[in-house]
Amino acid sequence: MIPIDPTSFIPLYEQVKSGLRREIALGSYKPGSPLPSIRDLAAALLINPNTVARAYGELERDGLITTRKGRGCFVSEDFGTLPGKDTVKRLDGIFETAVREARKTGAEPSEIRKVFEDRLRSVFAEPGKRRTS
Amino acid sequence: MSDLLKVTGLAKDFGRKKVLRDLSFTLEPGRVYGFLGRNGEGKTTLARILMGVIPATRGALLFKGEPITYGSSIYKRGIGYIPEDSFFYGGMRVAEFLAFNSRFYPRWDAARVRSTFESLGFDRRARIQTLSRGQKLQLGFVAAVGAAPDLLVLDDPTSGLDVPTRRDFLRGIIRDLAERGTAVLFATHMVHELERVVDHLYILHGGRLILDRGFEDIKTLSRRVRLRFDGEAPDKLPLEGVLSLRREPGLLEAIVFPWDEAAESKLRSLSLTDIEVEPLSLEDIFEGFVGSSPAQPEVK
Repeated sequence: MIPIDPTSFIPLYEQVKSGLRREIALGSYKPGSPLPSIRDLAAALLINPNTVARAYGELERDGLITTRKGRGCFVSEDFGTLPGKDTVKRLDGIFETAVREARKTGAEPSEIRKVFEDRLRSVFAEPGKRRTS
Repeated sequence: MSDLLKVTGLAKDFGRKKVLRDLSFTLEPGRVYGFLGRNGEGKTTLARILMGVIPATRGALLFKGEPITYGSSIYKRGIGYIPEDSFFYGGMRVAEFLAFNSRFYPRWDAARVRSTFESLGFDRRARIQTLSRGQKLQLGFVAAVGAAPDLLVLDDPTSGLDVPTRRDFLRGIIRDLAERGTAVLFATHMVHELERVVDHLYILHGGRLILDRGFEDIKTLSRRVRLRFDGEAPDKLPLEGVLSLRREPGLLEAIVFPWDEAAESKLRSLSLTDIEVEPLSLEDIFEGFVGSSPAQPEVK
Protein backbone atom coordinates (compact mmCIF):
# COMPACT_ATOMS: atom_id res chain seq x y z
CA MET A 1 0.00 0.00 0.00
CA ILE A 2 1.22 3.47 -0.85
CA PRO A 3 1.60 5.68 2.19
CA ILE A 4 -0.01 9.10 1.82
CA ASP A 5 0.62 11.93 4.21
CA PRO A 6 -1.56 14.89 3.25
CA THR A 7 0.08 17.10 5.88
CA SER A 8 3.53 16.58 4.36
CA PHE A 9 4.75 19.38 2.15
CA ILE A 10 5.83 16.81 -0.43
CA PRO A 11 3.14 17.18 -3.10
CA LEU A 12 0.68 14.30 -3.12
CA TYR A 13 1.47 13.37 -6.73
CA GLU A 14 5.13 13.00 -5.74
CA GLN A 15 4.09 10.76 -2.88
CA VAL A 16 2.04 8.61 -5.25
CA LYS A 17 4.92 8.49 -7.73
CA SER A 18 7.50 7.43 -5.20
CA GLY A 19 5.06 4.96 -3.66
CA LEU A 20 4.43 3.34 -7.03
CA ARG A 21 8.13 3.31 -7.85
CA ARG A 22 8.77 1.53 -4.59
CA GLU A 23 5.98 -1.00 -5.12
CA ILE A 24 7.27 -1.72 -8.61
CA ALA A 25 10.88 -1.97 -7.40
CA LEU A 26 9.79 -4.37 -4.68
CA GLY A 27 7.94 -6.50 -7.22
CA SER A 28 4.41 -5.89 -5.92
CA TYR A 29 3.55 -5.03 -9.52
CA LYS A 30 5.47 -7.17 -12.03
CA PRO A 31 6.57 -6.03 -15.48
CA GLY A 32 3.64 -6.17 -17.87
CA SER A 33 1.06 -6.45 -15.12
CA PRO A 34 -1.81 -3.98 -14.74
CA LEU A 35 -1.81 -1.13 -12.26
CA PRO A 36 -4.97 -0.04 -10.45
CA SER A 37 -7.20 2.29 -12.45
CA ILE A 38 -6.96 5.98 -11.64
CA ARG A 39 -10.42 5.87 -10.14
CA ASP A 40 -9.72 2.87 -7.91
CA LEU A 41 -6.36 4.09 -6.70
CA ALA A 42 -7.77 7.55 -5.98
CA ALA A 43 -10.67 6.04 -4.05
CA ALA A 44 -8.36 3.68 -2.15
CA LEU A 45 -5.89 6.40 -1.20
CA LEU A 46 -8.70 8.96 -0.68
CA ILE A 47 -7.08 11.51 -2.91
CA ASN A 48 -8.04 13.51 -5.97
CA PRO A 49 -8.10 11.47 -9.23
CA ASN A 50 -6.26 14.38 -10.89
CA THR A 51 -3.36 13.68 -8.52
CA VAL A 52 -3.21 10.00 -9.47
CA ALA A 53 -3.50 10.88 -13.17
CA ARG A 54 -0.57 13.25 -12.85
CA ALA A 55 1.57 10.64 -11.08
CA TYR A 56 0.74 8.05 -13.76
CA GLY A 57 1.49 10.58 -16.48
CA GLU A 58 4.92 11.36 -15.09
CA LEU A 59 5.80 7.72 -14.51
CA GLU A 60 4.82 7.03 -18.09
CA ARG A 61 7.08 9.81 -19.28
CA ASP A 62 9.87 8.21 -17.25
CA GLY A 63 9.19 4.92 -19.05
CA LEU A 64 8.25 3.00 -15.93
CA ILE A 65 4.67 2.41 -16.95
CA THR A 66 2.73 2.40 -20.21
CA THR A 67 -0.86 3.23 -21.00
CA ARG A 68 -2.81 1.01 -23.36
CA LYS A 69 -5.80 2.72 -24.87
CA GLY A 70 -8.97 1.72 -23.11
CA ARG A 71 -7.22 -0.86 -21.01
CA GLY A 72 -5.50 1.23 -18.40
CA CYS A 73 -1.95 1.42 -17.11
CA PHE A 74 0.65 -1.34 -16.97
CA VAL A 75 4.15 -1.72 -15.63
CA SER A 76 6.45 -1.48 -18.64
CA GLU A 77 7.39 -4.88 -20.09
CA ASP A 78 11.02 -3.97 -20.41
CA PHE A 79 11.21 -2.90 -16.81
CA GLY A 80 12.27 -6.45 -15.87
CA THR A 81 15.05 -6.49 -18.43
CA LEU A 82 16.48 -3.31 -17.04
CA PRO A 83 19.24 -4.18 -14.59
CA GLY A 84 16.97 -4.19 -11.59
CA LYS A 85 16.56 -7.77 -10.56
CA ASP A 86 19.40 -8.25 -8.18
CA THR A 87 19.26 -6.98 -4.68
CA VAL A 88 21.65 -4.11 -5.14
CA LYS A 89 19.59 -2.68 -7.96
CA ARG A 90 16.42 -3.06 -5.99
CA LEU A 91 17.94 -1.28 -3.06
CA ASP A 92 19.15 1.43 -5.37
CA GLY A 93 15.60 1.95 -6.64
CA ILE A 94 14.28 2.18 -3.10
CA PHE A 95 16.91 4.58 -1.86
CA GLU A 96 16.94 6.82 -4.85
CA THR A 97 13.33 7.67 -4.11
CA ALA A 98 13.97 7.96 -0.40
CA VAL A 99 16.99 10.21 -0.79
CA ARG A 100 15.24 12.46 -3.28
CA GLU A 101 12.35 12.84 -0.89
CA ALA A 102 14.71 13.46 1.98
CA ARG A 103 16.53 16.16 0.06
CA LYS A 104 13.29 18.05 -0.42
CA THR A 105 13.00 18.56 3.33
CA GLY A 106 16.03 20.77 3.03
CA ALA A 107 18.09 18.47 5.26
CA GLU A 108 21.85 18.24 4.79
CA PRO A 109 23.37 14.91 3.64
CA SER A 110 24.86 14.44 7.09
CA GLU A 111 21.45 14.77 8.72
CA ILE A 112 19.89 12.35 6.23
CA ARG A 113 22.70 9.86 6.84
CA LYS A 114 22.20 10.07 10.58
CA VAL A 115 18.44 9.46 10.37
CA PHE A 116 19.08 6.57 7.97
CA GLU A 117 21.65 4.96 10.21
CA ASP A 118 19.48 5.33 13.31
CA ARG A 119 16.61 3.71 11.46
CA LEU A 120 18.85 0.95 10.13
CA ARG A 121 20.00 0.15 13.64
CA SER A 122 16.55 0.28 15.19
CA VAL A 123 14.95 -1.93 12.50
CA PHE A 124 17.69 -4.56 12.65
CA ALA A 125 17.52 -4.52 16.44
CA GLU A 126 13.88 -5.60 16.32
CA PRO A 127 13.24 -9.24 17.13
CA GLY A 128 12.23 -11.12 13.96
CA LYS A 129 13.68 -8.77 11.41
CA ARG A 130 11.25 -6.75 9.35
CA ARG A 131 11.20 -8.03 5.80
CA THR A 132 9.98 -6.33 2.68
CA SER A 133 6.28 -5.74 3.08
CA MET B 1 -15.77 29.63 -22.62
CA SER B 2 -14.44 26.73 -20.61
CA ASP B 3 -15.49 28.33 -17.31
CA LEU B 4 -18.18 26.28 -15.69
CA LEU B 5 -18.99 28.98 -13.20
CA LYS B 6 -17.93 32.59 -13.29
CA VAL B 7 -18.64 34.84 -10.34
CA THR B 8 -17.87 38.56 -10.55
CA GLY B 9 -18.07 41.14 -7.79
CA LEU B 10 -20.49 39.15 -5.66
CA ALA B 11 -21.71 40.88 -2.51
CA LYS B 12 -24.39 40.03 0.02
CA ASP B 13 -25.72 42.20 2.83
CA PHE B 14 -28.11 41.05 5.50
CA GLY B 15 -29.50 44.36 6.66
CA ARG B 16 -26.43 46.36 7.65
CA LYS B 17 -24.24 43.31 7.98
CA LYS B 18 -22.01 42.83 4.96
CA VAL B 19 -21.44 39.08 4.82
CA LEU B 20 -19.87 38.93 1.37
CA ARG B 21 -18.16 42.11 0.19
CA ASP B 22 -16.55 41.38 -3.14
CA LEU B 23 -16.03 37.87 -4.45
CA SER B 24 -14.77 37.02 -7.92
CA PHE B 25 -13.72 33.56 -8.99
CA THR B 26 -14.12 31.01 -11.77
CA LEU B 27 -14.50 27.25 -11.60
CA GLU B 28 -13.50 24.78 -14.31
CA PRO B 29 -14.73 21.22 -14.82
CA GLY B 30 -13.02 18.29 -13.15
CA ARG B 31 -11.37 20.20 -10.35
CA VAL B 32 -11.87 20.45 -6.62
CA TYR B 33 -12.10 23.96 -5.21
CA GLY B 34 -11.73 24.39 -1.49
CA PHE B 35 -13.46 27.33 0.17
CA LEU B 36 -12.02 27.59 3.64
CA GLY B 37 -13.41 30.01 6.13
CA ARG B 38 -14.24 30.15 9.77
CA ASN B 39 -17.82 29.69 10.87
CA GLY B 40 -19.85 32.76 10.01
CA GLU B 41 -17.65 33.88 7.11
CA GLY B 42 -20.41 33.39 4.56
CA LYS B 43 -19.76 29.95 3.11
CA THR B 44 -23.39 28.89 3.44
CA THR B 45 -24.54 32.26 2.11
CA LEU B 46 -22.36 31.73 -0.96
CA ALA B 47 -23.74 28.22 -1.50
CA ARG B 48 -27.33 29.45 -1.19
CA ILE B 49 -26.79 32.26 -3.66
CA LEU B 50 -25.31 29.75 -6.12
CA MET B 51 -28.40 27.60 -5.77
CA GLY B 52 -30.71 30.56 -6.38
CA VAL B 53 -32.19 30.15 -2.91
CA ILE B 54 -31.40 33.69 -1.79
CA PRO B 55 -30.66 36.78 -3.90
CA ALA B 56 -27.24 38.41 -4.19
CA THR B 57 -27.02 42.09 -3.25
CA ARG B 58 -24.59 42.82 -6.09
CA GLY B 59 -22.55 40.95 -8.62
CA ALA B 60 -22.97 38.56 -11.51
CA LEU B 61 -23.01 34.78 -11.54
CA LEU B 62 -22.79 32.80 -14.75
CA PHE B 63 -23.20 29.03 -14.85
CA LYS B 64 -22.28 27.61 -18.26
CA GLY B 65 -22.73 31.12 -19.59
CA GLU B 66 -26.22 31.60 -18.21
CA PRO B 67 -27.01 33.90 -15.31
CA ILE B 68 -27.97 32.50 -11.92
CA THR B 69 -30.60 34.68 -10.34
CA TYR B 70 -32.77 34.46 -7.25
CA GLY B 71 -35.43 31.86 -7.75
CA SER B 72 -33.99 30.66 -11.04
CA SER B 73 -34.05 26.95 -11.60
CA ILE B 74 -30.64 26.85 -13.21
CA TYR B 75 -29.52 24.24 -10.69
CA LYS B 76 -31.70 21.77 -12.56
CA ARG B 77 -29.28 21.99 -15.43
CA GLY B 78 -26.42 20.79 -13.41
CA ILE B 79 -25.68 21.92 -9.87
CA GLY B 80 -25.91 19.40 -7.07
CA TYR B 81 -26.04 20.65 -3.51
CA ILE B 82 -25.26 18.91 -0.24
CA PRO B 83 -25.91 21.24 2.68
CA GLU B 84 -24.63 20.98 6.22
CA ASP B 85 -28.06 20.35 7.65
CA SER B 86 -30.15 18.08 5.54
CA PHE B 87 -33.50 19.68 4.95
CA PHE B 88 -35.15 16.37 4.30
CA TYR B 89 -38.79 15.86 4.94
CA GLY B 90 -38.56 13.57 7.93
CA GLY B 91 -41.82 11.79 7.39
CA MET B 92 -40.96 10.82 3.83
CA ARG B 93 -39.66 7.38 3.06
CA VAL B 94 -36.27 7.01 1.39
CA ALA B 95 -37.73 5.80 -1.92
CA GLU B 96 -40.32 8.58 -1.91
CA PHE B 97 -37.63 11.16 -1.31
CA LEU B 98 -35.61 9.92 -4.30
CA ALA B 99 -38.70 9.82 -6.52
CA PHE B 100 -39.54 13.36 -5.35
CA ASN B 101 -36.04 14.54 -6.31
CA SER B 102 -36.13 12.79 -9.67
CA ARG B 103 -39.00 15.03 -10.76
CA PHE B 104 -36.92 18.18 -10.30
CA TYR B 105 -33.98 17.19 -12.43
CA PRO B 106 -34.26 16.60 -16.17
CA ARG B 107 -30.95 14.71 -16.20
CA TRP B 108 -31.88 12.37 -13.33
CA ASP B 109 -29.80 9.20 -13.60
CA ALA B 110 -32.03 6.49 -12.17
CA ALA B 111 -29.60 3.67 -12.90
CA ARG B 112 -26.83 5.45 -11.09
CA VAL B 113 -29.07 6.23 -8.14
CA ARG B 114 -30.04 2.57 -7.94
CA SER B 115 -26.46 1.30 -8.02
CA THR B 116 -25.16 3.92 -5.60
CA PHE B 117 -28.05 3.32 -3.31
CA GLU B 118 -27.60 -0.45 -3.29
CA SER B 119 -24.01 -0.10 -2.13
CA LEU B 120 -25.20 1.77 0.95
CA GLY B 121 -27.35 -1.02 2.24
CA PHE B 122 -30.19 0.68 3.99
CA ASP B 123 -33.89 0.18 3.63
CA ARG B 124 -35.69 2.07 0.87
CA ARG B 125 -38.86 1.99 2.93
CA ALA B 126 -37.28 3.56 6.03
CA ARG B 127 -38.62 6.94 7.05
CA ILE B 128 -35.98 9.63 6.80
CA GLN B 129 -36.44 10.70 10.40
CA THR B 130 -35.31 7.25 11.54
CA LEU B 131 -31.96 7.51 9.70
CA SER B 132 -28.72 8.45 11.42
CA ARG B 133 -26.97 11.68 10.42
CA GLY B 134 -24.42 9.64 8.49
CA GLN B 135 -27.18 7.84 6.56
CA LYS B 136 -28.90 11.15 5.80
CA LEU B 137 -25.62 12.43 4.40
CA GLN B 138 -25.32 9.33 2.22
CA LEU B 139 -28.87 9.79 1.03
CA GLY B 140 -28.12 13.44 0.29
CA PHE B 141 -25.12 12.29 -1.72
CA VAL B 142 -27.21 9.80 -3.73
CA ALA B 143 -29.76 12.51 -4.50
CA ALA B 144 -27.07 15.03 -5.45
CA VAL B 145 -25.19 12.73 -7.85
CA GLY B 146 -28.49 11.38 -9.15
CA ALA B 147 -28.99 14.78 -10.71
CA ALA B 148 -25.82 14.11 -12.77
CA PRO B 149 -24.45 17.54 -11.89
CA ASP B 150 -21.56 19.34 -13.57
CA LEU B 151 -20.93 21.15 -10.32
CA LEU B 152 -21.33 19.71 -6.86
CA VAL B 153 -21.62 22.26 -4.06
CA LEU B 154 -20.71 20.83 -0.66
CA ASP B 155 -21.47 23.06 2.28
CA ASP B 156 -19.62 21.52 5.22
CA PRO B 157 -21.67 18.35 4.85
CA THR B 158 -19.44 16.17 7.03
CA SER B 159 -19.30 18.54 9.96
CA GLY B 160 -19.87 16.65 13.19
CA LEU B 161 -19.71 13.17 11.67
CA ASP B 162 -17.27 10.43 12.62
CA VAL B 163 -14.12 9.73 10.63
CA PRO B 164 -15.27 6.51 8.86
CA THR B 165 -18.49 8.21 7.72
CA ARG B 166 -16.55 11.22 6.49
CA ARG B 167 -14.11 9.01 4.61
CA ASP B 168 -16.91 7.00 2.98
CA PHE B 169 -18.48 10.24 1.87
CA LEU B 170 -15.20 11.53 0.48
CA ARG B 171 -14.66 8.24 -1.37
CA GLY B 172 -18.04 8.69 -3.05
CA ILE B 173 -17.09 12.20 -4.13
CA ILE B 174 -13.76 10.96 -5.49
CA ARG B 175 -15.45 8.25 -7.56
CA ASP B 176 -17.90 10.76 -8.97
CA LEU B 177 -15.05 13.08 -9.81
CA ALA B 178 -13.17 10.29 -11.60
CA GLU B 179 -16.18 8.98 -13.47
CA ARG B 180 -17.91 12.17 -14.48
CA GLY B 181 -15.36 14.95 -14.21
CA THR B 182 -17.62 16.91 -11.91
CA ALA B 183 -16.31 20.19 -10.53
CA VAL B 184 -16.56 20.32 -6.76
CA LEU B 185 -16.94 23.42 -4.65
CA PHE B 186 -16.08 22.20 -1.17
CA ALA B 187 -16.84 24.81 1.48
CA THR B 188 -15.65 23.88 4.93
CA HIS B 189 -13.93 25.03 8.08
CA MET B 190 -12.29 21.64 8.52
CA VAL B 191 -9.08 21.04 6.67
CA HIS B 192 -8.46 17.33 6.90
CA GLU B 193 -10.60 16.04 4.06
CA LEU B 194 -9.88 19.09 1.98
CA GLU B 195 -6.15 18.61 2.24
CA ARG B 196 -6.43 15.23 0.47
CA VAL B 197 -8.42 16.38 -2.53
CA VAL B 198 -8.18 20.10 -3.10
CA ASP B 199 -6.77 21.41 -6.41
CA HIS B 200 -7.33 25.08 -5.81
CA LEU B 201 -7.85 26.90 -2.55
CA TYR B 202 -9.79 29.99 -1.62
CA ILE B 203 -9.78 31.42 1.87
CA LEU B 204 -12.85 33.46 2.71
CA HIS B 205 -12.29 36.08 5.37
CA GLY B 206 -13.99 39.35 6.14
CA GLY B 207 -16.27 38.96 3.13
CA ARG B 208 -13.39 38.65 0.68
CA LEU B 209 -11.23 35.95 -0.82
CA ILE B 210 -7.91 36.64 0.85
CA LEU B 211 -6.26 33.69 -0.89
CA ASP B 212 -6.86 32.42 -4.43
CA ARG B 213 -4.18 29.99 -5.48
CA GLY B 214 -3.39 26.45 -6.63
CA PHE B 215 -2.94 24.26 -3.59
CA GLU B 216 0.45 22.97 -4.65
CA ASP B 217 1.78 26.53 -4.91
CA ILE B 218 0.40 27.26 -1.49
CA LYS B 219 2.22 24.32 0.04
CA THR B 220 5.44 25.13 -1.78
CA LEU B 221 5.37 28.81 -0.88
CA SER B 222 4.42 28.81 2.78
CA ARG B 223 6.79 28.39 5.70
CA ARG B 224 7.05 28.83 9.42
CA VAL B 225 10.33 30.50 10.36
CA ARG B 226 11.81 30.66 13.82
CA LEU B 227 14.54 33.24 14.35
CA ARG B 228 16.69 33.48 17.43
CA PHE B 229 18.52 36.64 18.39
CA ASP B 230 21.34 37.29 20.77
CA GLY B 231 19.73 40.34 22.25
CA GLU B 232 16.32 41.88 21.73
CA ALA B 233 14.30 40.57 18.79
CA PRO B 234 13.22 43.26 16.31
CA ASP B 235 9.56 44.38 16.23
CA LYS B 236 9.04 43.28 12.68
CA LEU B 237 10.67 41.51 9.80
CA PRO B 238 11.94 43.14 6.61
CA LEU B 239 9.75 40.86 4.51
CA GLU B 240 6.61 40.93 2.44
CA GLY B 241 3.98 38.38 3.28
CA VAL B 242 4.45 37.95 7.02
CA LEU B 243 1.03 36.56 7.92
CA SER B 244 1.57 36.25 11.62
CA LEU B 245 4.31 37.09 14.02
CA ARG B 246 4.87 35.81 17.54
CA ARG B 247 7.48 37.49 19.67
CA GLU B 248 9.25 36.18 22.74
CA PRO B 249 12.45 37.35 24.38
CA GLY B 250 15.17 36.65 21.83
CA LEU B 251 12.78 34.83 19.49
CA LEU B 252 10.52 35.63 16.57
CA GLU B 253 8.22 33.08 14.98
CA ALA B 254 6.52 34.01 11.73
CA ILE B 255 4.30 32.40 9.16
CA VAL B 256 5.36 33.62 5.75
CA PHE B 257 3.62 33.44 2.37
CA PRO B 258 4.93 33.61 -0.28
CA TRP B 259 8.29 32.22 0.73
CA ASP B 260 11.30 32.06 -1.58
CA GLU B 261 15.08 32.05 -1.54
CA ALA B 262 15.22 35.82 -1.59
CA ALA B 263 13.16 35.88 1.61
CA GLU B 264 15.51 33.42 3.20
CA SER B 265 18.65 35.35 2.30
CA LYS B 266 17.05 38.57 3.58
CA LEU B 267 16.44 36.92 6.93
CA ARG B 268 19.92 35.40 7.04
CA SER B 269 21.37 38.88 6.61
CA LEU B 270 19.89 39.89 9.98
CA SER B 271 22.10 39.36 13.01
CA LEU B 272 20.66 36.04 14.04
CA THR B 273 21.99 33.28 16.19
CA ASP B 274 19.75 30.67 14.57
CA ILE B 275 17.11 30.25 11.90
CA GLU B 276 14.70 27.35 11.46
CA VAL B 277 12.48 27.07 8.41
CA GLU B 278 9.75 24.48 8.20
CA PRO B 279 6.87 23.68 5.85
CA LEU B 280 3.28 24.02 6.99
CA SER B 281 0.21 21.82 6.93
CA LEU B 282 -3.02 23.25 5.58
CA GLU B 283 -4.21 23.67 9.14
CA ASP B 284 -1.23 25.92 9.92
CA ILE B 285 -1.65 27.80 6.66
CA PHE B 286 -5.33 28.43 7.34
CA GLU B 287 -4.54 29.64 10.83
CA GLY B 288 -1.78 31.84 9.45
CA PHE B 289 -4.20 33.53 7.10
CA VAL B 290 -7.20 33.97 9.37
CA GLY B 291 -5.44 33.86 12.74
CA SER B 292 -5.92 36.35 15.50
CA SER B 293 -3.42 38.91 14.20
CA PRO B 294 -5.25 42.25 14.01
CA ALA B 295 -4.15 43.47 10.58
CA GLN B 296 -5.09 41.02 7.86
CA PRO B 297 -2.92 41.28 4.80
CA GLU B 298 -4.66 40.77 1.50
CA VAL B 299 -2.88 38.29 -0.65
CA LYS B 300 -3.93 37.55 -4.15
